[in-house]
Amino acid sequence: MDARLRRVNKEIADCKNDRTSQIRIELVGDSPFHLKGSFPGPEGTPYEGGDFDVDIVIPESYPFQPVKMKFLTKIYHPNVSSASGAICLDILKDAWSPVLTLKSTMISLQSLLCSPEPNDPQDAEVAKHYMTSKHSFEETARYWTEIYAGGPGSKIGKTLPAGARDDVAIAGLDAQHVSRFEGLGFAKNKVIDVLRRLNYRGPNASKINDERVVEELLKP
Amino acid sequence: MSSDYDYSDDDGDYYDEDMIDGTQDDYSDDDNMMDFGGDEDIKVPQKGKRKSYEVDYESLSQSAVEKLIAEDVEYIYSVCGVDESIASLLLRHSKWNKERLVEKYMDNPTSLLVAAGVTLPEPTSSPTQRSAPTSNNSSSRRTTRGASRLLTTFGGSGSKTKSPITSPTLTHYTPRSFKPKSSDPSDKFVCPICFDDAPSLRTLSLDCEHTFCSNCWAAYLASKIRDESEHAVKCMAEGCSLVCPDPFIRTVIGPSATSTEPGQEQENAKAWSHFQELLVRHYVASNKRLKFCPYPGCTNTVSCPSAADKSSLTTIVPTVSCGARGIGDQMTQSQSASGGSGGGGWGLAGKEHRFCFGCHVEADHRPVVCPVARMWLKKCRDDSETANWIKSNTKECSHCQSTIEKNGGCNHMTCKKCKHEFCWVCMGPWSEHGTAWYSCNRYDEKAGVDARDAQSRSRASLERYLHYYNRWANHEQSAKLSLDLYAKTEKKMEDMQITSSLTWIEVQFMKKAVEEVERCRMTLKWTYAMAYYLAKGNEKDLFEDNQRYALLLPSHSLIIHLRLHLRIPSDLEKAVEDLSELLEGPIEPENIPGLRQKVTDKTVYVQKRNEIVLEDTAKGFMEGRWKWNVVVEGFDEPEKVEY
Ligand SMILES: [Zn+2]
Ligand SMILES: [Zn+2]
Ligand SMILES: [Zn+2]
Ligand SMILES: [Zn+2]
Ligand SMILES: [Zn+2]
Ligand SMILES: [Zn+2]
Repeated sequence: MDARLRRVNKEIADCKNDRTSQIRIELVGDSPFHLKGSFPGPEGTPYEGGDFDVDIVIPESYPFQPVKMKFLTKIYHPNVSSASGAICLDILKDAWSPVLTLKSTMISLQSLLCSPEPNDPQDAEVAKHYMTSKHSFEETARYWTEIYAGGPGSKIGKTLPAGARDDVAIAGLDAQHVSRFEGLGFAKNKVIDVLRRLNYRGPNASKINDERVVEELLKP
Repeated sequence: MSSDYDYSDDDGDYYDEDMIDGTQDDYSDDDNMMDFGGDEDIKVPQKGKRKSYEVDYESLSQSAVEKLIAEDVEYIYSVCGVDESIASLLLRHSKWNKERLVEKYMDNPTSLLVAAGVTLPEPTSSPTQRSAPTSNNSSSRRTTRGASRLLTTFGGSGSKTKSPITSPTLTHYTPRSFKPKSSDPSDKFVCPICFDDAPSLRTLSLDCEHTFCSNCWAAYLASKIRDESEHAVKCMAEGCSLVCPDPFIRTVIGPSATSTEPGQEQENAKAWSHFQELLVRHYVASNKRLKFCPYPGCTNTVSCPSAADKSSLTTIVPTVSCGARGIGDQMTQSQSASGGSGGGGWGLAGKEHRFCFGCHVEADHRPVVCPVARMWLKKCRDDSETANWIKSNTKECSHCQSTIEKNGGCNHMTCKKCKHEFCWVCMGPWSEHGTAWYSCNRYDEKAGVDARDAQSRSRASLERYLHYYNRWANHEQSAKLSLDLYAKTEKKMEDMQITSSLTWIEVQFMKKAVEEVERCRMTLKWTYAMAYYLAKGNEKDLFEDNQRYALLLPSHSLIIHLRLHLRIPSDLEKAVEDLSELLEGPIEPENIPGLRQKVTDKTVYVQKRNEIVLEDTAKGFMEGRWKWNVVVEGFDEPEKVEY
C-alpha cells in the first residue's frame, strides 16, 4: 500500500481511538487527503467554550512536506488571519518534521490559542489590538468565539441572530467612539473600518487626534 | 577574417571563401568555445585577440566545478583536520568562505560544528563557554579520517523517536553512525513515520540516533532535494539540528542504494543527481566570479572574473556563453554549427547558451551596459501600454494642461477641470468654430496652431520616448520572428540545391546571412535604447532645436543623431532591411548565382558595420565617453539638461 495512504489512515484511526485528547478528525469527502479537524478552545482563554474547525489538506509528499491547515471557524487571534483563517505557525512551515502527526499538529494549534505570538503576526491589525490593550483584545476574541464558534454566550441565550450582530464589538471597538464619529455624519460601517485600521482602542485612542480620524474618513 | 575596419566602397573585397564553405570566422565568442565538450573540464582559452566588446571568460563543466569544490574540501581537511564530509558541511554553512571558516573554527570549533549541523549542541554548554584557542589550534592533521564512531546498536525500544543524547564532546568528530540496524529479531522496530514494522526493514540514523526506515529517509531526502532544493537536509526528528552528511545521503539515495518501494530507485537516482547539481549551484552562487548557465537542463558554469565586481558593469557588457547549444532534449555540449553536414546550428537545437553575466535582462544586450538596458526595459514595461493609449486617445487641455480623454466621436471637447471648450481636431477654442461644429476647417488658424504648439511641448517627452520605443520594438519583433525565418531559409536552401548546381556547403551563405541579420537587429535594437538615454552632445543644435525636438525629428535626423553619438554607419539600418528583403524574397533559379553574390556581399558589409558599432560603443564605455540624461546606476550624475 502507498506509504502516505497507510500513514494517513493510521493517523485517522488513532484519533478515533483516542478518547483522552479532544482532537476530532473526519473526512470531508471520499478522499482521506482532505479532512476536517476540530477541537475545543482551551480553558482559561477567550476561546474557551468555542469549537474550532480546521481545514486539513494532505499534500502529495506528506509526511515529508508539512500538512496544510487553516481555520474554517472565524477566530480573533494575532497569528490567524481574521479574513481567511490562514495560520502562522512554524511547524506548518520550516519547522515541520515528518514525525509530527495530524493530531500533534492540531494540539500545537490548540496551544497556539493559549499563547499568541504577536511579534510574528499573521493578522497585523489583530496583533496591534493585542499589543495595545490585552483586555479589550480578549473581549473581542471572546465575542468572536461566542458568535462564530458557538461560545458560552450562545448557550445562555445571549447571542443575537446573525443580522443583529454587533459590528462594533466584532471590530473590537468602543461603541462610544463609534457613535461620536457617526454623529459627525459619517456612515457607521465607514467609521468602524477607519477606527479598526487606526487601532483606535484603549490608550491608543487618546493618541490619535480627531483631525486624523476625519482625514481618514474623508478618503474615498 | 581580418579585423581592420576598412571602409572600402568596394565591398566585393570582403568576399571571403569561408563565407561560402560555412566555416565561421572569428567573429563571435561562440566559436571560441567549440573545443569544449562532454564531461571534460577543459578550460577554454580565448583564441586570438579579444574584441573590445568581448570579455574574457571560461566555461566549466559540472565536474570541473566539482573539482574546485574538492580542492576547497581538501584545504579545510588539511587546515582544520576534519573529515571530508564534515569539511563539506562546514564550507556550505560558511557559504564557501574558507578564510572565515578557518578563522571561526580556530576561534571556537564546537560552536561552528554545532551551527553547521555536524554535531549536536552540548546539553550543558552555555553560549559563553569557549574553548581556549591555543589548545585547539590545529597545527597538525588530526587522525579523524576514517575513525568512524560506530554505534553499538539502537536502544531497546526501537520506536522511541527521542532518545537521550550522549553528546560527543570531541571537537574533531566524525558522524558515521548511519549503519544498518542490528538484526535482533526480538527488537521489534516500528518506523515512527510510515508505521512499517516489517522485520526486513532497513533502518538508519545519524549520530542523534533518531532512527527511521530507509524508505522514509529516501522519500524525505528526495522531497527536500527536489521540492525545496535543500543541500543541507536536517534529520527528520522534530527540532533535531543535525545535517545529513554526503556519505549518508549517498548511502540512502546514491547509486548503490536499493529500495523495496516500487519506483523509489528511479526517484533516488534523480534526487541523487539533483543533489550533486545543488552542491555545484550553491558553490557557484557563493562565488561572484561564477555564474550557472541559465538555460534549462544545462549544468555548465561560466567563470568571468572581470565582471565579478558590480562596478565593472558600467564599462563592460559581459556577454558570455557556456559552450553548450540547444534546449531540452536537443542539447549538445559541443556545437558543430560550422560543419558542412548542416546538422545543428538551426533554431532551438542550435541555440547557443549565451547570457549576460551581469544581469538577467536579456541574453545579449550589447552594445548597451546592464544598468541602462535594465532601465529601458523597466520603462517599456511601465510606459508603453499607457503611452500608446494616451497618445491616441487623449489630449491636454490648452488652458490647464490636464489630460482629457476623447469620448465618442464628438470633436467638441469640454475640460472637466477648467471648463475650457475646444476642438479636438484643431485644438483651437470652440467659440471660434461658430456653428461649424460638425466639421473643423480651422486647422491652420492661429489660435489652433498656438494651442497645438503648447500641446506639442507638453507631449514632447512622450513622443520622444515613443520615437525610440517604436524603432526598438520593430527590431525586437523581427528578432522574435527569426525562428520562423530560420525555417523558411532552410527550406529555400534545400530548394536551391535542387534548382541549381550548388552543394549544401555552397548554400550556407543563406544561413550565414540570416544569422548576421539577427545579430545586427540585436545591436540596432539596443542602440535605440541607448540613444534614448544619451545626454545631448555638442551637436544637439543640429536637430534638437527646441523642445519640439521629437515631433520635428525626421528619420534622417535620427540617423545623424545615432551616427554622431554612436557612430552607426548611416546605412546599417537600411542594409539590414535590404538583406532581410533579399532573404525573404522569391528565388528564381536563373538568378541564384547573382543572389548568392549579392547576399554574401551584403552579409559581409553589415557584419563589418555591426562590428564597428559594437567596437566603438564598447570603447566609449571603457573611456567613460557616454554621458546620460538621467541618473544611471554606477555612473556619475548627469549634468543639468532640459528636455
Ligand atoms: Zn518508515
Ligand atoms: Zn536527529
Ligand atoms: Zn548552458
Ligand atoms: Zn547585462
Ligand atoms: Zn482645462
Ligand atoms: Zn476646430
